[in-house]
Amino acid sequence: MRAGETNNSGVLDELPGDLMMWVLIVSELLVFGAGLAAFLGVRVVDPDGFAAARNYLHPALAGLNTIVLITSGYFAARALDLSKGQRQSSVRWNLLWAGLLGAVFLAIKIYEYADVAGQGISTETHPFFTFYYLLTGFHALHVLAGMVILALVSWKRTSRNVEVGTAFWHMVDLVWVLLFPVIYLLA
Amino acid sequence: MTFDTITRAWFGLLFLSAASVLIAAGFTETLGAGATGGLVLVFAWMKARVILSRYLGLWQAPVWLSGFNWALGLFCLLLLGLFLIPEVSP
Repeated sequence: MRAGETNNSGVLDELPGDLMMWVLIVSELLVFGAGLAAFLGVRVVDPDGFAAARNYLHPALAGLNTIVLITSGYFAARALDLSKGQRQSSVRWNLLWAGLLGAVFLAIKIYEYADVAGQGISTETHPFFTFYYLLTGFHALHVLAGMVILALVSWKRTSRNVEVGTAFWHMVDLVWVLLFPVIYLLA
Repeated sequence: MTFDTITRAWFGLLFLSAASVLIAAGFTETLGAGATGGLVLVFAWMKARVILSRYLGLWQAPVWLSGFNWALGLFCLLLLGLFLIPEVSP
């Protein structure tokens, strides 16, 4: 192996966890990042319309969901830390708490969607709501996928599975902390 | 990583989230939309840094952490620029 190849491998080896999970994390950040930039780009031509549309949302509920998801990430981080030791039953409980809080996040999100849709608002009402449903809906699907992954990982617990599963969950958390302020606080 | 580090990161994220909501809800008229938007995005960037560093473990890889910090910082600047265009347009 040539010296250059060794160095390249060394840089990648510094990344904690699975390389493919980092490829997924960067891919997801690019997709949601493009969506958020497009959201604010479209807002440029209609800032008043976007401000009026945002009044139909519930920033307090979204703020509560932020606390729920951050706390869920805390349990996932604890699970990963515990998985490196001997307390395997605690790993399972922390993973289950993380997943349960994911379910709470989705329940609040469904309530929010029902309330907004109940006001007769759809994806066609205004470009704000097209992006709102698209970005938050796509994120909610990731939460659902993350819950399934956490359940599988708590069933088939190995330190590698826990590392990959919790990394996916933190990615969902990471996307939300960027998505929440742009859609609910800035628009 | 110890539980103390994880717990500190959690408290930090809660604090930054609460600060974002409070500033956006209560200080927009006082500070102006530009400063409020800037602060909210700085807090979002700081939250992303905490998650990457403490929860995703990039504190073990300072070069990668620095790269992610720069990329996310530039992205937040792009968002701030897009947010401010209508504010500064005549």
